[in-house]
Amino acid sequence: MSLERKDALWGYVFVLPWIVGFLVFTFGPLLFSLYASFTNYDITSQMDWVGIRNYRNMFTHDSLFWKSLHNTLYYVLFNVPLTTFAALLLAVTMNQKIPGMRIFRTVFYLPSVLAGVAVFYLWMMLLNPSTGLVNMALGWVGIDGPAWMTDPNWTKPAVILMKLWGAGGGMLLYLAALQGVPEHLYEAAELDGASPIRRFWHVTVPMITPVIFFELVTNLIGAFQIFQEGYVMVQDQSTPGSPMNSLLFFNLHMFLKAFQSFQMGYATAMAWFLFIVVIVLTLINMALSKLWVHYEGGDNR
Amino acid sequence: MKKVNKAAIASLVLTLTTGVLLTGCGNNGDKNAAASHAPEDNNAPKEKVVLDFWTFWGSETRRPLIEKIIDDFNKAHEGKIEVKHSYYPYGDIWTKALAQTAAGNPPDVIVNSIEEAGLRAAKKQNTNLAEFLAKDPDVKDRFREDLWNTVLYKDDPYALPFTTDTRMMFYNKTAFKEAGLDPDKFPATWDELEQVAMKLDKKDAKGKYTQIGYAPQFAGFDAKSIAVNFDGGNGWLDDNGKANISTPNKIEGFNYVQRYTDRLGQKTIDEFKAAFGSKEANPFIAGKVAIWPDAVTFATQIRDFGKGMDVGIAPIPETKPGAGHWSAGGGFVVEIPAGAKHPAESWEFIKYLTDTAAQTYWAKMNYDNVANVQASNDPELIKDPIYKASVDNLTNTRVYPRPAAAADLFKMLDPQVDAILQKKVTPQEGLDQAQKDISDLIAQNGG
Repeated sequence: MSLERKDALWGYVFVLPWIVGFLVFTFGPLLFSLYASFTNYDITSQMDWVGIRNYRNMFTHDSLFWKSLHNTLYYVLFNVPLTTFAALLLAVTMNQKIPGMRIFRTVFYLPSVLAGVAVFYLWMMLLNPSTGLVNMALGWVGIDGPAWMTDPNWTKPAVILMKLWGAGGGMLLYLAALQGVPEHLYEAAELDGASPIRRFWHVTVPMITPVIFFELVTNLIGAFQIFQEGYVMVQDQSTPGSPMNSLLFFNLHMFLKAFQSFQMGYATAMAWFLFIVVIVLTLINMALSKLWVHYEGGDNR
Repeated sequence: MKKVNKAAIASLVLTLTTGVLLTGCGNNGDKNAAASHAPEDNNAPKEKVVLDFWTFWGSETRRPLIEKIIDDFNKAHEGKIEVKHSYYPYGDIWTKALAQTAAGNPPDVIVNSIEEAGLRAAKKQNTNLAEFLAKDPDVKDRFREDLWNTVLYKDDPYALPFTTDTRMMFYNKTAFKEAGLDPDKFPATWDELEQVAMKLDKKDAKGKYTQIGYAPQFAGFDAKSIAVNFDGGNGWLDDNGKANISTPNKIEGFNYVQRYTDRLGQKTIDEFKAAFGSKEANPFIAGKVAIWPDAVTFATQIRDFGKGMDVGIAPIPETKPGAGHWSAGGGFVVEIPAGAKHPAESWEFIKYLTDTAAQTYWAKMNYDNVANVQASNDPELIKDPIYKASVDNLTNTRVYPRPAAAADLFKMLDPQVDAILQKKVTPQEGLDQAQKDISDLIAQNGG
């Protein structure tokens, strides 16, 4: 055995515990769920092969499947561009060299540190139609604010608005990227007479495209996983996703199918459908990235 | 290189053994836990059996009560059976128990919902009690017949009913007097109720509502329950388990609810609803709403947070005299999850939990309607007029079980109900759609 092969072998031996862990705790359950999606598995009493019945029912007999898919896509469509843009805007603002900036950065990052459910309750208070701060502020400029969490037309916008509050997490990454943009590029652009906006578009943005790309991909995957908001931010805790199933997100529907109706086989089929959707979107994203993402170190990344 | 390899091998061996040890410990740990839990298992039946009893009664009022009941049982079975109480939050408890049941290590006894006892039986999540009942046939006679029926699956019992509840109309007598109404006479029909409700509305100078007499959109007897009341107490499924949704009477019930929406305005209703709080801020206790349907246990809230309120209680109205003051109830059962290790001892315990002594104590301290008929008619208990009213109301109360084929019933129905209430569709359209969806669902599930 050559030295190189020996070293490689040792490398594999060392990562073995993690490979075993992956196989047993991630890949194994993954295969199990794939198999379960073709059965009528209900956790306790049965697991018979039913072929593609779950998938067929999903597309042809479950109106809530389409409803929940629609809700999730609606959320993804607005949430991903908005948070990506808001985080970038925030980072550029926070990148100014003025005294006290650290305090501002901390303030804007703070919401990303706060724990989930507490934030939801805070926002349910803020969004209260008659006493909440949001409608009060809208009232100052003469707008009669909507009944955010009770009117099914406004529940998803309300959740999207709330999620924007957490843009500070993405801001931090952009901030790091912005500080890595070399000063001499700005100087050169300035000498050539480029306005601040042109400098931003032609120097800053291209230089941080890898981070934008990363944010886009992770936000997209994260957005498809939305669940808690529909489970917690409801008027009536016994009907998750209400009013009118406007907050019945895909994962919530899946969870309820699995643990309230005990249709685990069906739920795993739903999970696989979502998995495939996300994989396809991510691959498209990867392919498109070649057109706009710029890597400073060369092309072979 | 050799030295390096030795070090490498050493650390590798260490890592792997740690891994093995950890996983091994996990398994052994389980076995040990099970063993120490019940070392007596089958080989030494004379030794003490420890039962793990799961409830969601963790509040400062309920926890001491259930633990006192358990304590009495433990004292009476000293050295033979010991029950340990485990508290898990409402909702979580059943997901967790389900996972434990699937893994073959369930709790011995658990409190679960009454509506789905049969569904769980169909899914093999709980234990068939027929063999135990055969030895103690009297146990069956403790319960009201319709409650007993909820725990049957293919004629065998799978749980014992523990509590039930019923909904009634609470009303603020002071508000009645202020509006010039007789505080001792509550309207008997829905139409009369509407007239009374209008007299109880109050508006400020700007025309904004400051008090609403009654709105079906609030509190514990919602549009769905009203529709069932209008339909002579017939639920969303008929006796054969088929969808029974788009009936003329149920549509009439929704029309009734919409009369309130039209009169009060959706915005007023939403704003009122969004400002509702609990305890002292409960809208009925805070004087924002004068008539409040709720489960009778709401009386404890009034007792604790509405000091000095003059409150009356009356049955749910009926459509016309003689149609029936139909109310809806729910409740909880105690059952033995499938695969539990000590069913015989657990049966002793659930038998005790549903016996007169424990049930009377629970009813007295909690104001709950208990499943045991003798306990709920305890002479001391029914001295209390409100409790007496609730026991009387049970004859008009129905519990609607949810069979396996229609487990998703309300997920299909609720959005249509929401759409009707938001006036996006007419009651006829919404209920027709729900009828279609739910029939389809039941057909898919082979019901």
